[in-house]
Amino acid sequence: MTEEDLSLMVDQIMDVLTYPPIQKAALACILCGASCSLLSVFVVLMKMPLIGVSMSHAAFAGAVMGMLLGFNPFLCGFIMCLLAAGVLGPLSDRTDIAPENVLGIMFSFLMGVAFLGMGILTRTKAGALNLMWGSLLSLSDSDIAVLTVITAILLLFIVMFFKEIRYVLFNRKLALAGGVPERFIYYALLFLTGAVISSNLATVGGLLIFALLVQPGATALQLTYNLRHFFLISVAAGIGSCVSGLIVSYVFNLPSGASVVLMATTIFAAAYVFSPKRHRRKKVKECISYEYDKR
Amino acid sequence: MNEHIIELSGVTVRKAKGVLLDGISLNVARNEFVGIIGSNGAGKTTLLNVIAGFERFEGELSLFGKPERWKRSRETRVRVGYIPQLFQIDPAFPILVSEAVMTGAIGRVGLFRSPGRKEKEKAMGLMEMMRVAHLLDRPLGQLSGGERQKVSLARVILQQPDILLMDEPTANLDIAVQKEVLNLINEIHQKENLTVLFVTHDFNMIPAGMKRVVLLNHGKIVFDGDIDVALSGDMLSTLFQYPLETFERDGRRFISYG
Repeated sequence: MTEEDLSLMVDQIMDVLTYPPIQKAALACILCGASCSLLSVFVVLMKMPLIGVSMSHAAFAGAVMGMLLGFNPFLCGFIMCLLAAGVLGPLSDRTDIAPENVLGIMFSFLMGVAFLGMGILTRTKAGALNLMWGSLLSLSDSDIAVLTVITAILLLFIVMFFKEIRYVLFNRKLALAGGVPERFIYYALLFLTGAVISSNLATVGGLLIFALLVQPGATALQLTYNLRHFFLISVAAGIGSCVSGLIVSYVFNLPSGASVVLMATTIFAAAYVFSPKRHRRKKVKECISYEYDKR
Repeated sequence: MNEHIIELSGVTVRKAKGVLLDGISLNVARNEFVGIIGSNGAGKTTLLNVIAGFERFEGELSLFGKPERWKRSRETRVRVGYIPQLFQIDPAFPILVSEAVMTGAIGRVGLFRSPGRKEKEKAMGLMEMMRVAHLLDRPLGQLSGGERQKVSLARVILQQPDILLMDEPTANLDIAVQKEVLNLINEIHQKENLTVLFVTHDFNMIPAGMKRVVLLNHGKIVFDGDIDVALSGDMLSTLFQYPLETFERDGRRFISYG
């Protein structure tokens, strides 16, 4: 690609950005990247990716059923997420049931509900497919407004309860013993996960959102030991994945959701390769084997 | 006579797998150092969980003279410190030693307020006391097991509890480190005027301050009294259903596992 081609491409992108639907899509991308990546800090540090995947499928199943029954699909997705959070929270706290099994059953049940709904929905299947993959170019003003409000609530929650969140992320049992409202923080997080996922069904869809709930946090985990920086790196990785994915999809005429996920994976791979933590661990290992060889 | 700050009466915990605690009645006075000893599944951890407020239970529990259930106020929770067995932390987890110690102040300062200079100075003093001050900028997950347990002690003392519950805090540590941690536990018991409940398996690693022992078996208290009587060969052989002998050397009691 010559310099001329590159400047032509940049001009084209700037041109495209003057169209209101594209502006809306770009704003949605930034909000989606920010909200999902903030949540991904919790998903990664609390080691609950299965809860994330179950919640995203609950939103998808709820939205499909809403569409089938003639209700607002996003509202139904949100309600289904809240129900899933209400079931998953207490179940994951119980010590007499293996949480992986419960989540596996829940996940497959919700997929079954979603595909049952899609099977019955013969006339408006395209709408259901949009819920699965998202439809960035057909977002309404209310979609953007809901996404903005939910991202703002999530951000406010993190800023207001940062010190309590740090303790809960470190160890839930110790946080409870230390006088921190651990249950409030945990359940608020589950409900916010539901809200973020259901409000993002229109942007990246119910299937691909899972990637954004894990990869930005996993990227930050490679790069810092500071929790504040962790949130910032995760948000940068999330927004970066969404915006660069959108540009790649436009330039190479590829599906936008898939491009976003692949960009998120690329950013994670780069962070993994250049991770200072990994190099530090490698150095420690080298020292140990050197000491061992000397013996 | 000392007031009882922990009072249990007929405390029972039932789970799907059976009865974990069966009608436990126990009183602990202020500043006592009580050992909780028993075989696996005897109910030691469940007993601590009930007092710490992690577990639902039947029966009566009073802390500081007030009846309590498993749900309780922040004010009561901060007065009961808890140290678990050494647990795994991802070496990449984003928390530094100083931040881990400062978490101990969070419950006491409450919501929407940050720990101030007073708490930070106290945390620094505790890190020095626990000999981990030189590690304050290190990620917690990269510390050795002994160092992490010393950080745990600093964290829990910053919480300023009246009661300290310890669930096998020296398990999985090297012998020399176990001894060092036990000495620190004795030191804080005396300095901070704490009431300590200490669960252990290892009879040869008993803190010097422990004068009273509660022996548990199948969720019931089978003995509650002086440590010298509790740690006799006959008593322990019956409890563990295994021949155990005790002997003394340099004024200290040791258990031989036969």
